[in-house]
Amino acid sequence: MYRLKVLFLLPCLLGACSETANETSITPQSSTASSVTSAISNEFNENRNAYFGELHVHSMYSYDAFILGGIASPEEAYQFAKGNAITHAAGFEMQLNQPFDFYAVTDHAYFLGVMREMAMGDSELSQHPVAEGIDEIGDDPIPRRQIFFNFTDFANSGNGSEIMDMDVVTSAWNDIVDTANRHNDPGNFTTFVAYEYTGTGPNREMLHRNVIFRDDNAPDLPFSRLDSDDPADLWDWMDNNRSMGIESLAIPHNSNYSEGLMFDLVDYNGNPLDSAYADQRMRNEPIVEITQVKGTSETHPALSPNDEWASFGVLYTRIGTDVLIQPEGAYLRDALLNGIRLQEEQGFNPFKYGISGSSDTHNGTAVGPEENFYGVSGLLDSDGQRRGAVPLDTPNPDGSLYFDRYARFGASGMTGVWAEENTREAIYDAFRRKETFGTSGTRMKVRFFAGHDLPELDDDELISKAYATGVTMGGDLIAEADDAPAFIAWAAKDPNSAPLQRLQIIKGWVENGEMHEQVYDIACSDGNAVNPTTNRCGDNGASVNLDDCSISPDLGATELRVKWTDPDYNPANNAFYYVRALENPSCRWSTWDAIRAGVEPRPDVPATIQERLWSSPIWIIPESN
Amino acid sequence: MASGGILKQPLLWFAIIGLLLFIADSQLSNNRSEIIIDAALRDRLGTLWTTQTGLIASEAELDALTESWLREEVMYQEALRLGLDQEDSIVRRRLVQKLGFIAESEPLPDPEIADLEYFYQENIEDYTLPLRYSFQQKYFQAMDAAENALAQIIGGMPAENVGETSMLNQSYAYRSALDLNATFGAGFADRIANLSNGIWDGPIQSGFGYHLIFISAIHPEQVTPLQAIPEQVLQDFQRARQLQARDSYIDNLLDEYEIIMETQ
Repeated sequence: MYRLKVLFLLPCLLGACSETANETSITPQSSTASSVTSAISNEFNENRNAYFGELHVHSMYSYDAFILGGIASPEEAYQFAKGNAITHAAGFEMQLNQPFDFYAVTDHAYFLGVMREMAMGDSELSQHPVAEGIDEIGDDPIPRRQIFFNFTDFANSGNGSEIMDMDVVTSAWNDIVDTANRHNDPGNFTTFVAYEYTGTGPNREMLHRNVIFRDDNAPDLPFSRLDSDDPADLWDWMDNNRSMGIESLAIPHNSNYSEGLMFDLVDYNGNPLDSAYADQRMRNEPIVEITQVKGTSETHPALSPNDEWASFGVLYTRIGTDVLIQPEGAYLRDALLNGIRLQEEQGFNPFKYGISGSSDTHNGTAVGPEENFYGVSGLLDSDGQRRGAVPLDTPNPDGSLYFDRYARFGASGMTGVWAEENTREAIYDAFRRKETFGTSGTRMKVRFFAGHDLPELDDDELISKAYATGVTMGGDLIAEADDAPAFIAWAAKDPNSAPLQRLQIIKGWVENGEMHEQVYDIACSDGNAVNPTTNRCGDNGASVNLDDCSISPDLGATELRVKWTDPDYNPANNAFYYVRALENPSCRWSTWDAIRAGVEPRPDVPATIQERLWSSPIWIIPESN
Repeated sequence: MASGGILKQPLLWFAIIGLLLFIADSQLSNNRSEIIIDAALRDRLGTLWTTQTGLIASEAELDALTESWLREEVMYQEALRLGLDQEDSIVRRRLVQKLGFIAESEPLPDPEIADLEYFYQENIEDYTLPLRYSFQQKYFQAMDAAENALAQIIGGMPAENVGETSMLNQSYAYRSALDLNATFGAGFADRIANLSNGIWDGPIQSGFGYHLIFISAIHPEQVTPLQAIPEQVLQDFQRARQLQARDSYIDNLLDEYEIIMETQ
């Protein structure tokens, strides 16, 4: 009551309204902080701008984040995304040098807010045996991990509902929704109401998805794994919401830890896939997360033996074990191939995915440059020793020098979209169109078009004509029997990262029922040419000085641009093409940690990486289909 | 003189100390004490019952409610007697939380407009847009190409005839230093600040190469007027007041206590 009174009186008292006070002078022009710091920075562009964002962020409401030391609130997470500093549980400050254009906090719906309530609250939850010891917990990772395991063991024991306090869940969810809506600032900074669904197979295989809502109207509660582990039930729930005007999409991630279930050729209950399944899946899941801290899921060396870059970000064993993961059904390229094979054989494609990338941070803070990697698991990986990049003070019992659990994680994951403006509607619609790309954490950009009548590269109106005459990433092009399509691929480097080394097209196709893939280098830096026999650029010789992480100053390209035609094109084949752009090599986060600690980089992880970008595919559909 | 004499009487001191011990014993006794059930308690239990069920409690129901209250109360008293509230982190947290609520909810006077204005002025940087640029740019990979192009423009060549293709836009509007460093690379905002307004100037370096810049407008820092954002300022004001109230409450408490830092 009181607040309203001031609101209505203030403008007049300040002399802002005349005798005939009109509505607009009383209504605040803007009620969010961010509009006050960065008004009108992004104009509407019918040829679309690239915007960078993060769609996988855990705050203190995620049970795992909180107990591991991820204490950032949703409010702090959005403050961080907008460029403000927030404090890590270990005491240091975290800040971006480039704010994000869009951001979504995606806490686990599963036991949302419950762990924090056990530690901080005064409800009955805090007296539950699972919470035993949670109050006295210090910054030592070992007891934290122990409570985490106690919690998950209990949660998985079948008695989980005992600690699913719906008052706690509702209050956390309301805070998440309100905070996202409060920070959404059309034209400057976009947020999404979102959460993570952690559906799981019978042996803890990950079938995880982030659910992103388009608008500010969200359901009363998120659909969680406690409702069902079967993703099709999540899609039913989303379909039902949609019929009530609540639009959302789900982004599968960590397929690399799904043991082949994420892109399995049967459904959750073992039934063969059909067109109804494909329709529902694609209606609800237009894009997938190709990379994140817990591994990159583009492909695996066992699946793509002729791709020299296939090992990037691949985690070969199940988390915390020596058991090898199963690659089939767990990587995107393989899924895209199976999708077009099913299209050809049965007339539906359940895996027609666009591409995004996000970090899966549990600190509220996305990953920035390799140089400023804070880890993602609170106090468990908050410094070089805990991340496994710097030798331990006391070696492990088996004599090894390093803590191993996080050493192979990557500082990876960012999503780019092409959208007319920085608003929820424009960016969400780009997800729907699959006009998206994923990067390993830097802000490279790529334009990608296919068509039979594309403009020449030197055309002043290249982009508008390419949109007018072709299709862009995420689209379908119908093949013409007597005319191979052209592709335009155009990548630009991140102005704050290494130059580009090469531009590639990854092609997948089905011929006589067989699935094939081929990596083509299509543009090379430094005047190198593509060898037409090997389809590879010559080596540009770029290197990294591991003493200080400086890179070859004069090698690499700011942009690579090419109009390309597939030398092996066959209009009768179902095919997809996506772009991969590679930077020159630069230091991996672990090397930066080692330099700061004054030690040699750990020998059994790569000292350098090639940051990269993956565009959403363009699909070529044979005319007869 | 006389009073000094009385205070020196040992007998009086015995009496005073004895009385104090008696009072302390009756107040702090560890003995089990009585539990009083009176009409007021039964009324309270009855009202609670009505709130929860919407029904008036019968005498029998009141008896049952009282009985169950008694069984809980006796456990509570016994737990206190045994000191179970000591060193219990949940009790500690709850008590601290309750006191915190009390400290924060201490009634604060409604802010006068003058208070809000003062707060707004004190925190004016939170309500100020940074300096921003609107400009056109021409991109070159190499510095000498950029310098040559600038010479050509000065010699009369139309600017649209120079520059190399890039994914960058030809013009940008209302870009802050933060935006510029994100789009063109760290340090670009500092470099553009040294350029002249209203002419083609440069080249300056970016993360991509070199740029000739025509600054068409520099938009100075701009304060958002209070009347445009009253709700936000009020919220910020109240949040600041709350934190302040809590802090000064704790400070006052600290003054009441003697804090002894023991060095080992």
